[in-house]
Amino acid sequence: MGIEIPFDVATIAGPEAGDVAPPEVIGSYISSASRPLLAVGSEMLRDEFFIEIAIEIGKKGIPIAATGHSMRGFVEKGYTENVYYYNLHELTNCLRDPNWKGLDGAGNYDFVIFYGIIYYYASQMLSCLKNFATDPLMRTVSIDRYYHPNARMSFTNVMPRMEEEYKKMLNKLVESIKG
Amino acid sequence: MEELKKGGIFTISDLQNVRINIGEIVEEEEEWEPMGPHPMPRIATLRDWDFKLLNRYKPFYAPVCDMCCLCTYGKCDLTGNKKGACGIRMDAQQGRIVLLACLVGCSAHCGHGRHLLHDMIKKFGRDMPIDFGPEVNIEAPLTRLVCGIKPKTIGDYDRVFSYVEEQIVQLADALHTGQEGSYMDFESKALHMGMLDSLNKEAADIIQIACYGMPSGFPGDGPDVPFVDVGIGTIDTNKAVIIVIGHNVPPSADIGVYLTENDLEDKVELGGICCTSIDTTRVYKKAKIVSALGRQLRVLRAGIADVVVIDEQCIRADVLELCQRTQSPMIATNDKAMHGLVNRTDDDPDKIVDDLVSGKVPGVIILEPDQVGEVAVRTALQMDKKRRSLKFILSDDEFKYYVNDCILCGGCTLACPNGLRIGEANKSAAAGNIKPLADLFDICVGCGRCEQVCKKHIPIVDVMTKAAYPQLKEEKGRMRIGRGPIWDSEIREAGAPLVLGTIPGIIAPIGCGNYPNGTKDAWLIVKEFAERNYIVTLTGCMAIDCALWKDEDGKTIYEAHHGGFDAGGVINIGSCVSNAHIHDAAIKVASIFAGRPLRGNYEEIADYILSRVGACGVAWGAMSQKAASIATGFNRLGVPAVVGPHGAKYRRAFMSRPDIKEDWKLIDASDGSDVYVEPGPQDLLVACETVEEALPMMAKLCFRPSDTDRGRSIKLTHYIDLNQKYLSAYPPDWHLFVRVASDLPIATRDVLLKKLEDEQDWKIDWKKKKIEEGPIRGYNPSFNPTNLERLIRRKK
Ligand code: SF4
Ligand code: SF4
Ligand code: SF4
Repeated sequence: MGIEIPFDVATIAGPEAGDVAPPEVIGSYISSASRPLLAVGSEMLRDEFFIEIAIEIGKKGIPIAATGHSMRGFVEKGYTENVYYYNLHELTNCLRDPNWKGLDGAGNYDFVIFYGIIYYYASQMLSCLKNFATDPLMRTVSIDRYYHPNARMSFTNVMPRMEEEYKKMLNKLVESIKG
Repeated sequence: MEELKKGGIFTISDLQNVRINIGEIVEEEEEWEPMGPHPMPRIATLRDWDFKLLNRYKPFYAPVCDMCCLCTYGKCDLTGNKKGACGIRMDAQQGRIVLLACLVGCSAHCGHGRHLLHDMIKKFGRDMPIDFGPEVNIEAPLTRLVCGIKPKTIGDYDRVFSYVEEQIVQLADALHTGQEGSYMDFESKALHMGMLDSLNKEAADIIQIACYGMPSGFPGDGPDVPFVDVGIGTIDTNKAVIIVIGHNVPPSADIGVYLTENDLEDKVELGGICCTSIDTTRVYKKAKIVSALGRQLRVLRAGIADVVVIDEQCIRADVLELCQRTQSPMIATNDKAMHGLVNRTDDDPDKIVDDLVSGKVPGVIILEPDQVGEVAVRTALQMDKKRRSLKFILSDDEFKYYVNDCILCGGCTLACPNGLRIGEANKSAAAGNIKPLADLFDICVGCGRCEQVCKKHIPIVDVMTKAAYPQLKEEKGRMRIGRGPIWDSEIREAGAPLVLGTIPGIIAPIGCGNYPNGTKDAWLIVKEFAERNYIVTLTGCMAIDCALWKDEDGKTIYEAHHGGFDAGGVINIGSCVSNAHIHDAAIKVASIFAGRPLRGNYEEIADYILSRVGACGVAWGAMSQKAASIATGFNRLGVPAVVGPHGAKYRRAFMSRPDIKEDWKLIDASDGSDVYVEPGPQDLLVACETVEEALPMMAKLCFRPSDTDRGRSIKLTHYIDLNQKYLSAYPPDWHLFVRVASDLPIATRDVLLKKLEDEQDWKIDWKKKKIEEGPIRGYNPSFNPTNLERLIRRKK
C-alpha cells in the first residue's frame, strides 16, 4: 500500500480515497466477494493480452459486463458465455439499486471490478457507487493501470514504459483470485 | 374575456383575445390561436410534467467532488450521501450543482440574446419585422409555445427576455443555502432552466436572422444553402488575417461590412473559431471557418492572426497572453470578456490603430460593434506587413531538441484530460518516427495542461503542432453555411414519415469539441446516420469538426449529402443559438403535421414529442455549462441526448429502468386505457464510452411507442445492424422492441423469429409466421400514446 496521485491529477474527490494495493491483495479482496462482477471497457481492446486476462477472470466464475465496445474482443476470442453487453452508465444506474435483478436475474452484485475503462468515465461511475451504493455496501476495485481514488482499492499508476510490469501484475492478480 | 388582474397573473376565461401582462406593459395580442394552459410558466407550473419524466428517468448522480464549500458552515463532507451542516444531502447537492451549471449556461444565452437585442434595436429599431418569408410561417415555435407570444418585430423580444430574466433570478435564488432540499425539485428547476435556455437561443437567432437577413424561408434561402471553407489550411496567410472568436456576431458582421464597402475583400481574410465563425458566414460570404473550439489554442499559437477579435463565450481565459506571444493585437468587443484592457469605445480610430500597431497596448476594448470593423481591418493590414517575417511553428532543430529532451516522466499524461501518452510519442519522434506525435494532434483537445507540468519545459502543444503541420496545412474542408429554421413545407413532407418511423429519426450532433478521441468521430456519426436515411441536423462545433474529413471521393459529408430536412439530409442549422431550430422542428411536427395547438401548450407538445418524434441529440464533446442547459432543455421537451465519456462529469444523467414495468405505463388517449410499452426512448441523458458504442445507442434512442410496424422494422434494422457492425453482436434487448412479426425486417424475419423462439422462449406460429406469445404488448395502429390524463378523449 502507498500514497499515490490520481492518474488525472485533479481527480481528488474528498476525504475518502481508496487504497493502492498490489495484485495479490486485490485478488484476495475479490475472492472475498459473494457475487462479484467484472465490468470491462473498450481500452481492453488495445492488446489481446488484456482480453485474455478478462476471459481468465470470467473463467473463474465471475460474470462479465462488456461495456463500451469491448464486446468485440470477446466475440473475436469466441468467449461469450457469461458475457453481457451493457452500457456502463446504465449498468451503474442498476448497480446502485439493491433491488436490481442482475445480469442473470439472480440479484444485484456486492463487488464490481473495473477494468479497461477510460479513466475519467470509470472514475465517475466509481464515484456514484462510492456515494450511493452504500446500503448494502458495494465494494469496488480497479485493476487498470491507473490509481483510482474513487475505488476502494486500485493499482498504482503505470507509465507506458512499465507495460510489461503491468502485464505481470495482471497475471498475478488472476492467479490470486480463488475460483 | 375577463380583465387581467394586476401583477402578471393570467386569468383567461373564453380564450378569445388574450392580454398579456408582464408588470408594466399591457398589450392587446391579436388572436392567432387560443391560449393554451401554461403561458410563461413559472417554476412550479410544469412541475407535474417534470416529475413524470423524473420518475421514469430517475436522476443518476456521479459526484465530481464529495464536498461542498458554498457557505461558512462548510466545508462539508457529503461522501456516502451524508448531509451537510445545512441539512442538504449529497443527492440534492448534486442536483443543486446541476442547476447551477444550467443557470450559467442559460444565463450565457440569455445575456447574449439580450445584448444582441440592445445592439440590434439601436441599429435597426424596435420595429424591425420578423418575417422569414413564405416558407416559414411559424417563425418562432418556442416563443409561441412557452410564452404564448407570436413575435412580429424584434422589439417583441423585450417581453420574452424579461420573462426569462425573472425566471432565472427565481431559479438562482433556489440555489442559496437553506432553500431547496429535494433532488427531484432541483432537477425540475434544472429542466425549467433548460426550457428557458431553449427559448433564449431561439430569441437570439431570430433577432439576428431578422436583422442581418441570414438565410430563412425566402426563395433562394435553402434548403441547399451555399458552401464555405473550413480548416486551418483554407486561410490564405499571404493576406492580412483577422480571426474572430466567440458567439456574438455583430462585431464580426461589421468587419465584413467594412471589407465590402472598402473593397478589401481580397486583401483581408476574415476567419473565425467557434460559433461566431458560423454566424459570420451567414452574413459575409467570404468569411471562412478556421476551426471549432478544440483548436483555439493551437490556431492562436500558430500565429496566423494579424488581429484577434473576441466577443463572448468559449474564449480561452489566457487569450490575451497568447495574442501577445504572437504579436497579434486583440480587440475585445463585449463587456463580459474584457481581459483587463482599456475601454476605447468612441475613441478616434486612428489613435486606436496606432496604439495597437505600435505595440503600445496589447489590445483594446471596443463595445460598439459598428466601430470594430474599421479598427480591426486597418490594424490587420498594417500588422500583416510587420508580422510577415515572424515564424511561430518550431524549426526542425527546435523540434528535434525538444523530443530528445523528454525524459518520459509521464507528468504530461497525468495532467492530460485525455490521458495522452505524449512521452512515448516523443520517444518515437526522437527515433525518427513522428507519426505517433502527429496522430495525437487531433485527439488533443488543446487545453495546454500538459505544458504546465513538464519538468523539462517542453512546449508540448507546439511540438505536436510541428509534427502535424504537413497535414494541418492541407486541412481544407467544406460545409454549408447555417441555414436557420427548417421550412414549414419540409415539416409537412417529413412529419408523417418521422412519426410513423419510416424516416428512422432525427440525429442532432451539437455542441463542443471535448471529444475523447478526436474530430473524426463527429464525421463518423454524421456519415453513419445520413447514409441510413436519418435526418442529421448539426449546430456548433460538431457541425464544424465533421466538415474536416473527406470520403474516398474527396467529398466532405456536406458535399456528399443534400441539405434538406428529409431522409439522408445533412444540415448545418447554424451556431449554438441556432440549435433552437432543432427543438422547433420537433415542435412543428406536433403542430403542423399533427395539428396540436402550440400556444402556451408546452406540456402537451413535450408529451407528443417524447412518445412520437424519434429524435436524438448527441453532444459527443459536450464541455460547457451551455451544453448542460442545452441538453436539459432538449430533455424537458422529450428529446434524449447521448454524450461522450467526458459528459459523465456533468454529474447527472437521466436513465430509465426497462426492467421496472410500472415505469413504462402509458395511457392510450383514445380510450383512457393503460398500456405497458417498450422502453422508447430508454434514456434521456446517457454517456457512451466510445463512438462505436454511441452509434447503436443513438439508433436505440430513436424508438418511440408510436412507431408503425413498418417504421419499427426500419428502426430495428438499423439498431441491430449498428450493433453487429460496431459491437460484433446482437443487441441484448432488441426483442423488447418487437410487438408483432411485421415489426421485424422482412429480409431477416425468419432468422429473428427463430432467435425469439430459441433465446426468449417466445411462442411462434410458424405456419402463419405470427408471434403468439412473448412481446411486452401487441401492435395497435391506432394507439394514441400519452403520459397526460387530461388528454384522454373518451374514458373506457
Ligand atoms: S451549503 Fe450546506 S453543504 Fe454546503 S458548505 Fe454550507 S452547510 Fe455545508
Ligand atoms: S494540450 Fe492536448 S496533450 Fe496537452 S494536456 Fe491538453 S489535451 Fe492533453
Ligand atoms: S512531462 Fe515533459 S518530460 Fe515528462 S513525459 Fe511529458 S513531455 Fe516528456
